[in-house]
Amino acid sequence: FMKGSPAQPLCGFSNAVVQILRLHGVEDYRAHDVLQDPDLRQGIKNYSNWPTIPQVYLNGEFVGGCDILLQMHQNGDLVEELKKLGIRSALLDAEKDQDKK
Amino acid sequence: RSFTSQTDGEARVTRVLREKFPRASAIKVVDISGGCGAMYEIHIESEEFREKRPVQQHQMVNQALSEEIKSMHGLRIFTSTPKP
Repeated sequence: FMKGSPAQPLCGFSNAVVQILRLHGVEDYRAHDVLQDPDLRQGIKNYSNWPTIPQVYLNGEFVGGCDILLQMHQNGDLVEELKKLGIRSALLDAEKDQDKK
Repeated sequence: RSFTSQTDGEARVTRVLREKFPRASAIKVVDISGGCGAMYEIHIESEEFREKRPVQQHQMVNQALSEEIKSMHGLRIFTSTPKP
């Protein structure tokens, strides 16, 4: 749940989430633009009891916002969470390519 | 520690955090909206966060600042626990 779309984020924090996911090769996800729908915008905040957008859900479970995703990306947790969902992070392959550069 | 004076907003947010997190060992609140009170960056280190997942820790901060957050455009939260 974000502001704008993955192709055109309308907020720096929403963009950060899109970029982090892209780094891991994750581009096939459902994105909901809360700016298009005020009821959705408030509704999702009520649902998760979280006051800000973007909100990241993995397999229906609320994970957190931009700061949390960034932390998970930096400490390796995101790779693990993606693995649990059967998604192999692109960064795992990138590490192997590092020697070739 | 800080070499500039706090804005009223920063002081208020810091005060609320001190009340709601009595065991916090470090609290830093920075207005990153140029003094407009629209966006804050919050760093808080407390024993109360131990054993909790980051999203739970952030949720605790959200709940503590639920009133203040209503007038903010956004906030960044960085939680940590003190070194044992």
